[in-house]
Amino acid sequence: MESMVVTENLTKVYGKGETAVTALKGINLSIGQGEFVAVMGPSGCGKSTLLYLIGGLDRPTEGKVYLDGQELSTLTDNQVTEIRRRKMGFVFQFYNLIPVLSALENAALPMILDGVPVARAHERARLWLERVGLSDRLDHRPAELSGGQQQRVAIARALAHEPLIILADEPTGNLDSRAGDEIATLLRQISSEWGRTILMVTHDPRIAAYADRIVFLKDGKIVDQTHLNGNAQEDTRTVREKMEVL
Amino acid sequence: MTFQWLLAWRYLMGRKQRTILTTLAIVFGVLVIFGMNTFMPTFVKAFQTQVMAAAGQVDVTLTHKIGEAFDPSVLEKVRAVDGVEVAAGSLERVINLPADYFDRDPNAVDRISAVVLKGIDPEVARQMIAYNIVEGRFLEPGDTHAAVITRSLAREVGVQLGGTLSLPTAIGVVDLKVVGILPERMMPGNEEVLVTLSEAQQLLNMPGKINIIDANLNTMDEARRAEIQQRIIEAVGSNYKVGALESGSEILTNIRNAQMIFNLMGFLALLMGGFIIFNTFRTIVAERRRDIGMLRALGASRSTIRWMILAEGLIQGIVGTAAGLVLGYVFGYLILQLIVPIGQQYLNIKVGAPEVSPSLVVTSIILGVGVTVLAGLLPAQSASRVTPLEALRPSVGGVSFRRIAGFSFWAGVVLLALAAGILVSRQAALLGLGAILMSVALILMAPALINPIANLFGYLLALIFARNGTAQLAEGNLSRQPGRATVTASTTMIAMAVVVMMASVLTSLSLTFVNIMEKSLGSDYLLMPPTLAVWGSNTGAAPDLAQKLREIPGVALVSTLRFAGSQIKDVAVGVLGIDPQAYRQLDGLTFTSGDPDSAFTALEQERAIIVNGVLSSAAGIHLGDEVTLVTPTGEQTYRVVGIATDYLNAKTTTGYISQKNIAADFGRDEDVFYQINLKPGADRAEVEAAFTRLLKNYPQFKLLNGKAYVEENRKMFDAVFFSMYAMAAFLAIPSLIAMVNTLAIGVLERTREIGMLRAVGATRRQVRTVILSEALILSAIGTAFGILAGLYMGYMAVKTFEALGFPMTYIFPASGILSTVAIGIIFGALAAMAPARQATRLDVVEALRYE
Repeated sequence: MESMVVTENLTKVYGKGETAVTALKGINLSIGQGEFVAVMGPSGCGKSTLLYLIGGLDRPTEGKVYLDGQELSTLTDNQVTEIRRRKMGFVFQFYNLIPVLSALENAALPMILDGVPVARAHERARLWLERVGLSDRLDHRPAELSGGQQQRVAIARALAHEPLIILADEPTGNLDSRAGDEIATLLRQISSEWGRTILMVTHDPRIAAYADRIVFLKDGKIVDQTHLNGNAQEDTRTVREKMEVL
Repeated sequence: MTFQWLLAWRYLMGRKQRTILTTLAIVFGVLVIFGMNTFMPTFVKAFQTQVMAAAGQVDVTLTHKIGEAFDPSVLEKVRAVDGVEVAAGSLERVINLPADYFDRDPNAVDRISAVVLKGIDPEVARQMIAYNIVEGRFLEPGDTHAAVITRSLAREVGVQLGGTLSLPTAIGVVDLKVVGILPERMMPGNEEVLVTLSEAQQLLNMPGKINIIDANLNTMDEARRAEIQQRIIEAVGSNYKVGALESGSEILTNIRNAQMIFNLMGFLALLMGGFIIFNTFRTIVAERRRDIGMLRALGASRSTIRWMILAEGLIQGIVGTAAGLVLGYVFGYLILQLIVPIGQQYLNIKVGAPEVSPSLVVTSIILGVGVTVLAGLLPAQSASRVTPLEALRPSVGGVSFRRIAGFSFWAGVVLLALAAGILVSRQAALLGLGAILMSVALILMAPALINPIANLFGYLLALIFARNGTAQLAEGNLSRQPGRATVTASTTMIAMAVVVMMASVLTSLSLTFVNIMEKSLGSDYLLMPPTLAVWGSNTGAAPDLAQKLREIPGVALVSTLRFAGSQIKDVAVGVLGIDPQAYRQLDGLTFTSGDPDSAFTALEQERAIIVNGVLSSAAGIHLGDEVTLVTPTGEQTYRVVGIATDYLNAKTTTGYISQKNIAADFGRDEDVFYQINLKPGADRAEVEAAFTRLLKNYPQFKLLNGKAYVEENRKMFDAVFFSMYAMAAFLAIPSLIAMVNTLAIGVLERTREIGMLRAVGATRRQVRTVILSEALILSAIGTAFGILAGLYMGYMAVKTFEALGFPMTYIFPASGILSTVAIGIIFGALAAMAPARQATRLDVVEALRYE
């Protein structure tokens, strides 16, 4: 399997001198194309930091991140911005939709930012909103949607411009368990049916169990990796056991 | 690009109320600048149209430099110049007509409020101008009491060929027989009444004089014409100038000064608008950190974000400016409607619609839109620096504020010292600079001072709200965000400074003027000409009217003013001839320099002059100086024996000399203004009846009761001052918007904290108190600073007026400060209302979950 994301000795230190906190220590990770990877670990283990570094939202103190063979740390802010715009899709815990735009406009946002003609951007956004089951909510503003629906809009937004990888930061963290399951199922479907690469950070074993592989972090280091077999209940149990060890 | 506009538009529409309030700030600034500048030039133009003779059809018009009449021998010198084909001398004066003179209907608007009486030499005049008689005949050399008028004038006053036109003149009302009718008058300006030169000389009491020479040249070549014109000037001497008669140039200067002051106010309003926009955008950026961070995460570049914020500013700037232009025009129009009656009454001019020049529109747009965009620049820049990470975990921007505060504090101290230096130097020219330095100094010092002041007021509020124990919380909230608190307090400061400054100036101005007015016009009766201060356009009366007035039983004293135009050091001067003894008894002059007794004695005995404050500063004249007055017969040297001001001429450059000297040097013995005192115990009704009988022949004068007139003027003053106070208060409104913004964002940012307060048992009332205390502390800081800055600016302004020659005494604006404090408290409370409601309505659980 070809690697979509490769990190080499990835290290991140926040602050300086005595107050310095090392969030990540020499992470070497490879994510294959079309793979659905979940990152788990106790709070403060550096899982979000890893996601931000891979997503080009933050710069590493040491080490390198390769996305589709391209190294991110050597690029300027504008170049990284362009890569985010074209090659990545983000899903956040708090959805982060623009309150003054409709569901359709929100989903089309990355393409609009990239200069895609409005009609085409809307057409693609509509397609993905339909796929995530929101065909009857296109013109609603975020405030008129439930949490689960808002997260679906966010997922459509992350997918509509056909990115190479989707980065999801606690995508179910703000949802009740039923809505959370729906979102996780959707992500699973995105990976297996439409072949997208997904990197998801979560602290919920039940949600992590939807992934192909789970990376366990502790104190900024990878302590374990588990490939799952696709049986939800069994997988959940495996993950729970591993988390308890941590 | 379209995306930014769409987002900007949606965001603006999403917060309609705030958008409207912010835009209003721009609207207001543009309104003041644009509105003022539409009607001022209209006013000036109307004034010029009235005072300028219609020189239309002749090549060259020659007048005396000071507008006075001169000897016809000059005409021969002009005729002798090579290239002059024909030249004619005439005598013309504007005759201002009393209200309702022709229509006798107080309810109808007077369409003819003045006419020009023009005395011409019938034979020569027809060589100059092709008078196209449509009815009757032209004037003939031997005519007496005959006039030629236009068809339009004939229609307006209702006379026909052969009918009689009655005009008030220096020798009483005179009946003229209309012998010829000219076509309708097409040009703007006053209607002309043509009579023979000798007739005009008699009617205007200027025997053997002319005041205009018209000449036609024998070539159409521009270069050659200029050359001939130059030769004419050389032939007649430098006391003459080419151009039409102009009177009232003294007043024009005044109008221009007023225009400048209004422009300054408009600029202050815009500046405040800029502050508000700045504050609003800071708020917007703070509120949307998460949105902006998310956009960045999704791949919006820094410049996309910058443009998004700027686009919002641009939309508001454009909409605000457009509304400001429209409202400004309406404002100008309304002001003109207000001015028309005053203009008619005091200056005898007609004012048209407001005038809009393209350059004014462009300037207003540049200022309005420019200020908005400028104010949005910094917040846009800071928005573009929001990192994508902020969408994921918002954090408070931890700038090292202490260092910035320390630096700006000391910079502020330096500026404050400079401002104080300017105050000590008493340089009027530096007023604007001083005001700016003072404001900037206070704004710079504010961040460092916010904490101690917040502590102090927090302590006071803690005493007031003792049982709540919430004031400390409010104080703490402000100290946590000194930057935002500073911007808000600064906006309040500027607003309050304007109020206090206006209060200082108006209090000083009104008290001083009322004092001078009472002194100047305190006589029992006044005989007023149609216009005041622009004496040159009034038709007065020959000395025998004063004599007849004195003969009326019960009259103790008649003091008159005579007028002549002159120049000192190229400054136009209105020379008033007074009877030193009579005038001394009225005690109408307020001396700022020199001794009244010796001054009036000197006036009687030699060529001595008392100058008023405006003249002394305009021409740089001091007590004891010798000044040269330009007169129709040449230059004359006068000794300055006093600097003193009376009410009527306080604003125009004026000198007072004896009536003996004005007759000798200016050939004037026509009285234009009378002040009359009665003997004790005189029967007022009887005396008034005698006045009325006598004045029947002099309708150009209005008989006024002196005390009543002073009262009427005081009322007018009060109205003007009240409207200016209202305007100043209006200027304070934008600061309210700024405070609401600051408080609202404060509530938003502390949603979780407020939820916590409520969760641990704070009542809604206590939460409301926190917000209210915060608002009160903010407005207290702003008001305190505003009063400081305002007192400084007010004092400087009064000193400036003084330096310009207005007699003014600085009066501490105690009532102004009290009302400012009241406005501050009310605004603080008002600003807290919406945010406090927002805070108390928060759902506790929701608030705790809020990130």
